[in-house]
Amino acid sequence: MLRVKNLTKVYEDGTVALKDVSFEVPAGEFVAVIGLSGSGKSTLLRCINRLIEPTSGEIWWDDVALSHITGEELRRARRRIGMIFQHFNLVDRSSVLRNVLSGRLGYVNPLASLLGRFPEADVARAYASLDRVGIRDKALNRADELSGGQRQRVGIARALMQEPEMILADEPVASLDPALAHSIMRHLQTINREDKITVLCSLHFLDLVQQYGTRAIALNAGELVFDGRPAEIDDQKFIDIYGREAERIG
Amino acid sequence: MKETENAQRGKGWKTAVYLLLALLLYAYGVQVTNVNLEEPLEPRRQQNLVGLIRQLARPDLFSYANETRSMDISLRMPCPDEPKGSQLGSEGRTIVLAPNCVNTTQDPLRLTGEGFPANASGVVIWHPPGSTTTRRVAEFRADGSGNFIVRFTMPDVRETADLQRLEIVELLDRRITGSSDTLKLTLDRILETILMAFMASTVGTILAVPISFLAARNLMTDVKMPQISLMLAVILAPIGGWLGGWLTRWLLQAAAGGQALVGLILLLVVIGLLAVVLRLGGSLLDDSPKRWQQAGRWLLAGLLGLFGLGVVGNLGLDLGSWLTPRLGLLAFVGNFIFVMADFLLLLLPFFAGLAGVAAAMSLGGRLGQRLTERLSLGAAKLAMIGLTVVGTAVFTYALLFAANWVCLLGVCRWWPEAGQWLLLVSLLVGVVGGVLALRLQPKQQIAVGTAVYIFTRSTLNGLRAIEPVLMGFVFVVWVGIGPLAGTIVLIIHSIADLGKLFSEQVENIAEGPLEAVTATGANRLQTIVYAVVPQIVPHFIAFAFYRWDINVRMSTIIGFVGGGGIGLALQRATNLTQYRQASVMVIAIALVVIILDYVSAKIRSRII
Ligand SMILES: Nc1ncnc2c1ncn2[C@@H]1O[C@H](COP(=O)(O)OP(=O)(O)O)[C@@H](O)[C@H]1O
Ligand SMILES: [Mg+2]
Repeated sequence: MLRVKNLTKVYEDGTVALKDVSFEVPAGEFVAVIGLSGSGKSTLLRCINRLIEPTSGEIWWDDVALSHITGEELRRARRRIGMIFQHFNLVDRSSVLRNVLSGRLGYVNPLASLLGRFPEADVARAYASLDRVGIRDKALNRADELSGGQRQRVGIARALMQEPEMILADEPVASLDPALAHSIMRHLQTINREDKITVLCSLHFLDLVQQYGTRAIALNAGELVFDGRPAEIDDQKFIDIYGREAERIG
Repeated sequence: MKETENAQRGKGWKTAVYLLLALLLYAYGVQVTNVNLEEPLEPRRQQNLVGLIRQLARPDLFSYANETRSMDISLRMPCPDEPKGSQLGSEGRTIVLAPNCVNTTQDPLRLTGEGFPANASGVVIWHPPGSTTTRRVAEFRADGSGNFIVRFTMPDVRETADLQRLEIVELLDRRITGSSDTLKLTLDRILETILMAFMASTVGTILAVPISFLAARNLMTDVKMPQISLMLAVILAPIGGWLGGWLTRWLLQAAAGGQALVGLILLLVVIGLLAVVLRLGGSLLDDSPKRWQQAGRWLLAGLLGLFGLGVVGNLGLDLGSWLTPRLGLLAFVGNFIFVMADFLLLLLPFFAGLAGVAAAMSLGGRLGQRLTERLSLGAAKLAMIGLTVVGTAVFTYALLFAANWVCLLGVCRWWPEAGQWLLLVSLLVGVVGGVLALRLQPKQQIAVGTAVYIFTRSTLNGLRAIEPVLMGFVFVVWVGIGPLAGTIVLIIHSIADLGKLFSEQVENIAEGPLEAVTATGANRLQTIVYAVVPQIVPHFIAFAFYRWDINVRMSTIIGFVGGGGIGLALQRATNLTQYRQASVMVIAIALVVIILDYVSAKIRSRII
């Protein structure tokens, strides 16, 4: 169960990216986070794993105060939260395998990992993860030799290495064409259903939200303006979320 | 409309004022630089210049064998009552010496020649009576029609009743027989320079890499820790350093001495033990639940490794000194092994000390984190203040100690003797620190990273600002004239320069991977190795080559103040006005720089 209470984020330049946001996500849900660009979706997701420091408010994951832990405790919490990015954020010059193995860094012996050594079990796990997303044969390629869809699958494999209880996906399909987008979304859906991993996924297109989300929350200028099932988003709600000028296409 | 017009007119005025200011500055500059065009135009100066350029244009590259033809003409010392000229003819050549006698070294002599081949050249050699050596007294070169006139004086006067012999040696042919001594010396020294630059660049690069991380803003700004962690790290650092250094020295002593055979057996035993420690009880790489046992095994493995390195070092010393007299031409290999082993033994305690400091600081940081989390607010605050007093005192003591050490070298004499006084001052500063810490909250995160970043950056900038020549003076005084001094200066300058360049590269990396690896729960060091290093390695290699090229140039300058290499040889040659020799060296430097420049550019374009 993820609980966000009165979360506010004010950036150093005074931008209020999140304003008193509160919601709860029971374990196992697939939550679509929607809103215009600049509405605070990335900020919200990054506050949860503390890539960004919240200004005030609380974030709880079961009985761990994600918003307030530091140091070792924070690292132990982070390793249970996978993250997937719009621009994949792979290390281009490293091999696919090494990129995937880096998902394991929170678990392994730090000294050994600095020497580039991973336990055999983890290497096997890396191959299994790549197998799951269908690119096992690319393991030894350099990451920058892969196409966009393949790169995002490496990103998913990396997140899987963490044996996560929750995955944060920040517009994972925004840089992919629609066919690829569905394939990536289906992978996320499978992970959500089979592994019982909670997914928070920010999305642009309403049809994706309707198709994959079991739940949707919407942000507008940092404020939570919707929290419910995707099917409940009617024309009025749509205007609340996207504003009057937007045209409904999904 | 009017406003813009006014603005434009204002602009014109401004430009005029700036121009006037620039002109004034220029006028003052002319006065300061003492521009005087008369002096360079003086004939004496021009003669000197021409002479210099002519010598530079004839680099002393080869040794020659000459085919010659000699004619003797006689000379009298002192002059008889009626001085005359001597004349001599042979094979169409006519030579006249007039007068044919001298009394003093000031008396002028004139030698004319006719009927020589066009442009023939040669020298006039005096055979002083009763001496086995000869002296060259003049050179001649015939014009296009085979005539010449040379005026000269005798360098010395030996009075004899007999005629004295002047030999006119005409150069018929010059054959190159090999490279000149200058060329050999130059090759030797330029090789030394290249090697100095190479060593400085490699060592400088290796040391600059970790430093550059400390000087990269994007890596350091979010390094924060609570005050308790910071202070514990400061307090434990010297203990860790001392422990690491001392333990290593002790291990090295235990490994030293004894026969080579004993050493070999020891080495085998150590390797065996190491294997046992590594294999026994699961892989060391696994995150075993028995953390303490795991840590103990790592420690044991580390100690065994250090001891093994000590044994290897001593074996290397033995091997090197055994090999050197036996290898003949390859003796430098033996010497290399010896020097490397020596370096290993010398530097091991230092690096172990550094590792000790790092380990202790990391331990302190973690311990502090735990304490901050576990202790109640009141207890935490108390601990924080107590630790701040001790930590600040330790830090101040270290600073004062360093300052005092510098003063003991005689840089400043006013500093009082070390000891209790230092301790007292440190404690006082510690108490002040404790009072200031009253305002802190135990859970407050101190931006340690930013402080380290600022400190490292300014140190690097400071080091870069010091002229290498000045550093050269210091190290020549310290370690003596020679390539070692030059190499040390180059290393320091390389670290400063590369540290800055590298850190700028680090600041320019793509942030995405950094974010992604951080999100997996990796610690700081892991994040750097997995997300930063792969992005910067090619740039670092390229810069290291670029630095090699710079170091070659810089070492010639440092050589001028005694830093060894070609610079030192060049300085000697110019001081002795041996410009033909200097010319060879200048050419060699230019060639090496051009080649390295080209190679490093090629490598850079290939890598990046
Ligand atoms: N590092 C930052 N500093 C200042 N303002 C920022 C920063 N990152 C994002 N913002 C601002 O915060 C708001 C929310 O941004 P973001 O969370 O990226 O929105 P979204 O992901 O929904 O597009 C935007 O107005 C953006 O300009
Ligand atoms: Mg975003």
